[in-house]
Amino acid sequence: MKFTDLLGLSINNLKRRRLRTFLTVLGVVIGTASIVVMLSLGIGQSESNKEMIESYGSLTTITVYSNAMYGPQDSSTEPLYITDDAIGDFTRIRHVTGASPILRYTAIAKQGVYEAYLSLQGVSHEYMENIPLSEGHIPPRDSKELSIIYGNQAINDFQNSKTGEGFWSTGETPDVDLMGRSVFIIFDRDKYYSQGSTDADGNIISAPKKYIVPTAGIVDGGETGYGNYSYGAYCDIELLKDKLKSIFKKDPIPGQPTNSKGKPLSYFVYDSAEVYVDDMDHVSEVQEAISSLGFQASSNMEWLEQSQDSMRMQQAVLGGIGAVSLFVAAIGIANTMMMSIYERTKEIGVMKVLGCDMDNIRDMFLMESGFIGLMGGVVGIILSLSISKIINVLYMQSNAAMYSMSAGDISRIPLWLLGLALIFAVLVGMLAGLFPALRAMRLSPLSAIRNE
Amino acid sequence: MKAQPTLLRIYFKMQSITYGKKHRKPIISVRDLYKIYKVGDNRVHALDGVSFDIFRGEFVAIVGASGSGKSTLLNMLAGLEPPTKGEISIAGKRIDRLSESELVAFRRSNVGFIFQSYNLLNTMDAEGNVAMPLMFRGVSRAERIRKARKLLELVGVLDQAKHMPNQMSGGQQQRVGIARALVADPKIIFADEPTGNLDSKTSMEVLRLLQRLVREEKQTLVMVTHDNSIADYADKRIRISDGKIISMDVSDSTSTMEGTEENKDAGLPGGDKDV
Repeated sequence: MKFTDLLGLSINNLKRRRLRTFLTVLGVVIGTASIVVMLSLGIGQSESNKEMIESYGSLTTITVYSNAMYGPQDSSTEPLYITDDAIGDFTRIRHVTGASPILRYTAIAKQGVYEAYLSLQGVSHEYMENIPLSEGHIPPRDSKELSIIYGNQAINDFQNSKTGEGFWSTGETPDVDLMGRSVFIIFDRDKYYSQGSTDADGNIISAPKKYIVPTAGIVDGGETGYGNYSYGAYCDIELLKDKLKSIFKKDPIPGQPTNSKGKPLSYFVYDSAEVYVDDMDHVSEVQEAISSLGFQASSNMEWLEQSQDSMRMQQAVLGGIGAVSLFVAAIGIANTMMMSIYERTKEIGVMKVLGCDMDNIRDMFLMESGFIGLMGGVVGIILSLSISKIINVLYMQSNAAMYSMSAGDISRIPLWLLGLALIFAVLVGMLAGLFPALRAMRLSPLSAIRNE
Repeated sequence: MKAQPTLLRIYFKMQSITYGKKHRKPIISVRDLYKIYKVGDNRVHALDGVSFDIFRGEFVAIVGASGSGKSTLLNMLAGLEPPTKGEISIAGKRIDRLSESELVAFRRSNVGFIFQSYNLLNTMDAEGNVAMPLMFRGVSRAERIRKARKLLELVGVLDQAKHMPNQMSGGQQQRVGIARALVADPKIIFADEPTGNLDSKTSMEVLRLLQRLVREEKQTLVMVTHDNSIADYADKRIRISDGKIISMDVSDSTSTMEGTEENKDAGLPGGDKDV
């Protein structure tokens, strides 16, 4: 028997009992929609969680700290600092695409009466390229002049040096224009605060030199936005090192460690480093490798993995609730098919007498129940897409969205979920129809010629 | 009434031997067929050692009262019920030991079936019903509709081709049923009380149609009936009572249609033989 003929017979049979078919399909619609909507909530939650973590920094980035910067130092051995050599070691680890040292240096920024402690971070060009800007440009790679990218919140750190008032006490944004007017940077803080007094030799300390450092750009996010880069100030690490060397010459640079004799080291020691990994899957592997070198390593990936574990649990529970209603729908399909067999006992018998293969009879019933599953699946998918839309609209209007850290939909239906739901609905339909179909197949053809 | 059957049996045996040797091998051959049902502790012999042959091109009636075992016999010939004991060969093939799916395949390619209550599928028009056995054989739609229309024309209800079964009279439905039985060119057609639900005028028309088909289409037809007057349309009658063959007789003239018609018109000879 041809497949198309079999299909035609099945559809014909479903058409014959429209109301019953409709009600059975309705059960599958509700079952499919509840599974998809429940899962979409779980997926929405875990995805927005992931996005939130990503907004704090890339998931493929590992931050490395030196143990020596914290905790008690072991004086007998050279402390394990993050130096250019260590950075070189990091880049040689498998799956690492690059490593960027970070040199922190606190300077003072001045504009008019306003001044601020500026937590300057010397970073690589690659690091800066990841910073989203609202104004200005990332300094070019071969730039010879130091320039600074300010975080969008950096302006609020400025205080009026006469009154001591600032954003955090008055709530008013200081009258500072980082892009438009010149910003003076004072690198030698000690000298700045002790100017006018006398040093150990009795000389009067002169005011430190002020440098006009141009502003390269402002981090995207506006005055209120909060992101990974909002509070920092970033500049090219090599230019910062050159600047510091030219200012302090033979003197120790503040913040840099000294050797056991109290002399400055001949190389720079970095506060931290960022190591970039090629893929999310390799992050923990690289992290372990860095730890084994003796450094502290941390990544957002660890955090994500922990939270994803608990999310998966929640998703399973939500999906399970949806599955119950699809199970009920499956019982409905089985019931409809059984009824159908009782009604069609004679018809099935006639078909068998006329030489219809037993397999064909089974397939005909399986197709009918599969078709109920398919129709229920398709309509269920459409229904769940609309429900998902409504949930998202209501959620955005409610207060919950305002307090939530992450913007975006709480119900998300990826394409694979739709495909899976459809296949699942058809499979459930066929599975529910399997027992009735086998029963129909085994019906005796004698019932056809029994005359009532 | 008691003497005659013995004579008849001898006559028939002679006939059968000459007939078989002269013309053809039997298309249906039944030997020592038993069907025993268990009802509680009792064993009911629905068929109690039945043997006979049916030849190609014959119109055979199996006649018997209700409960005589005639329907059981037909069911076993058509492979709808397995025998308890005995042999059934159809077209040289033993069918008494086939599995159910083998029997379905066997029926599909060898057997046509006409039912008492027509058993047309109510969801299909006449054309679709006739074409159904061809659908089971995997024939393309265009081809099977063409064949179905040809047969509807043969049985004289081509004008009903697009009608649903509930739009047709009983006689028309049975003609559609007959067309359905013929459509796949079966070797044998079984008919179970084909006129049981029809009035006498329509019954006669349907029986004449069956006669004509046997003659013109060279079909073999085995019909079950309880009615002797209907059995007289057949060329050969096998009478069954209590699971046993009590007589077999052949119409005087089996070669021409006219002869059969004459028999019938002449007051149905043999009709009262076993009653």
